[in-house]
Amino acid sequence: MPMSIVKTENLHKKYPLPGKRTEWFYAVEGISLAIEAGEIYGILGPNGAGKTTTLEMIEGLTDIDEGDAWVDGISVSKEPYQVKKIIGVQLQANEYFDHLSLAELISLFSKLYGHKADPLLLLERVNLREKAAAKPKQLSGGQLQRFSIASALVQDPKVLFLDEPTTGLDPQAKRKLWQLIKELNESGMTIILTTHNMEEAEYLCNRLAIMDHGKIITEGSPQELILLHAPEPPVIPMHGNLEDVFLALTGTALRD
Amino acid sequence: MQLIWVMTRVFLKIFSRDRQAIFFSLVFPLLMMLAFSLFSSDETEPVYIGIVDEANSALSQAFISRLQERPEFEVSLGVEAILRLQLIEGDLDLMVILPTEFRGSPADIDLRVLIDTSQTAQMDRVMPLLERGLVDVERELRNQQPLFALAIEDIEARSQSYLDFVVPGLLALALMQISMGGSGFNLVEFRRKGILKRLFVTPILPRDFISGMVLSRLLIVLLQLSILLSIAVFLLKITFVGNLFNLYVFIILGTTIFLSLGFCLGSLAKSQQAILAMNMLLTWPQMLLTGIFYPIDAMPDIVQPLANILPLSFIVKGLRGVAIDGASLLELGTNIIGAAIWIVIVLGLAIKLFNWKEVAI
Repeated sequence: MPMSIVKTENLHKKYPLPGKRTEWFYAVEGISLAIEAGEIYGILGPNGAGKTTTLEMIEGLTDIDEGDAWVDGISVSKEPYQVKKIIGVQLQANEYFDHLSLAELISLFSKLYGHKADPLLLLERVNLREKAAAKPKQLSGGQLQRFSIASALVQDPKVLFLDEPTTGLDPQAKRKLWQLIKELNESGMTIILTTHNMEEAEYLCNRLAIMDHGKIITEGSPQELILLHAPEPPVIPMHGNLEDVFLALTGTALRD
Repeated sequence: MQLIWVMTRVFLKIFSRDRQAIFFSLVFPLLMMLAFSLFSSDETEPVYIGIVDEANSALSQAFISRLQERPEFEVSLGVEAILRLQLIEGDLDLMVILPTEFRGSPADIDLRVLIDTSQTAQMDRVMPLLERGLVDVERELRNQQPLFALAIEDIEARSQSYLDFVVPGLLALALMQISMGGSGFNLVEFRRKGILKRLFVTPILPRDFISGMVLSRLLIVLLQLSILLSIAVFLLKITFVGNLFNLYVFIILGTTIFLSLGFCLGSLAKSQQAILAMNMLLTWPQMLLTGIFYPIDAMPDIVQPLANILPLSFIVKGLRGVAIDGASLLELGTNIIGAAIWIVIVLGLAIKLFNWKEVAI
């Protein structure tokens, strides 16, 4: 059995209820995942289901209240900085320092990992080479998302986390981004993404989990989940069209 | 350690590209300096005296004409009611009433001097002038030889104007405002844009991030203050007798204190409005209480102990000591120690308050 590259056990995250100090609600309650190397794994669910919190706990952005997560065998709660070195993260909010160009930002991010990535090569990979001297504010939504992914690739991560990568994009930009995600995955990168978009989940993900109220309700490949949970399509009665009506009433004989 | 330099270079790039911020943060201190240089001209305003001559005697006439000859007084004559009005309006600094018995040379005549108590600050300046003037006039009228003459010499043997006094204070003020404005506001902005969160997913340590930001800001503030200092010395021609190195020691100490303080506020404040209010709360009292515009010794006794330990006081005293007295670092040792204690407190607090998890989300 292949070793899971990302594993979580019984993850919990609780927050105090608004206005109350002693009562808590669980944003994430007992999430256990095992994601294999080379997968595209999707986490689906309505707003507030706990998708982003789950990702942020694995990424080391949010403290884990109970349970633990491991990336490539490294414990997030014990060695968060070791985990950060091997993961790439694209966040929902993607604003950057004003006054720095795309190439300068890429070069900054790669230095933060002690790498020396060639900004132009990386921008080429996300089809933004001609924008190297532009500022992030000058990019369109789709370009900004691609840049955001490029900035997460500077250290050639083992696992790439994408939080709602296509939300707000037009269909063309969305397709382009899907293509990029597939390419990255084909080059061997494990990708974990959250989405609201069922078409996206079905198109991209090898496996997915559906979350609600901080828990996983079901998990499997898109096909398995469809067979298991989707209701049978209703039988649509076969009716003819208006021409059939006309012919039925007036006969089929030729009139000349 | 290497990341400190990476961050310093990046922040230098970011901050130096914001030319507008650099320029406008210099405009206010520059205007202040120019304003003070216009106001502190060497000519002093005469004292406006209104005289009610009830005596109308040879002596009173002589007294008035002697008074009129003196350049420090501007004398006008009139009846009491009108002069009183002028005094209340502020057209007169004081009025003197020469009583009917002001004739011959009796030993004691009471001159009535009327002042507007809302102008008492002026009185500190006016009363010695008036007393000296009256004594001189009296002496002349009685044909007495003065016993002695006072020639007052500055022991430092340098002419020192109010401008010389106030400019080091204004430099300290600019230093505080530029430093506190810079670091804290940036931090709040970076947090609101999610930039801190984005950095937090990379392996950079908070101390590298803070150090990089403080270092780059420090370099920029040094440049800005050097510009202000050059303008003060070469254009406004303030007296500067000290050692430039010593001056920069205090500039660096001060900048470190206020950058760190700005960082503390940046970590605490959730919005730009909040940090603006916090900033005012910390900068205004220091602007008024740290001897920028007049010495702490001249303040009410009750605020002096507080005024003396405010961080900016150590910097004002240090800069002023270097600039106008040419004091050595050893002579200003207390101020260095005071500033160093503040650095330990505020920098420690800044590092404690700035924690990725709290600040970034």
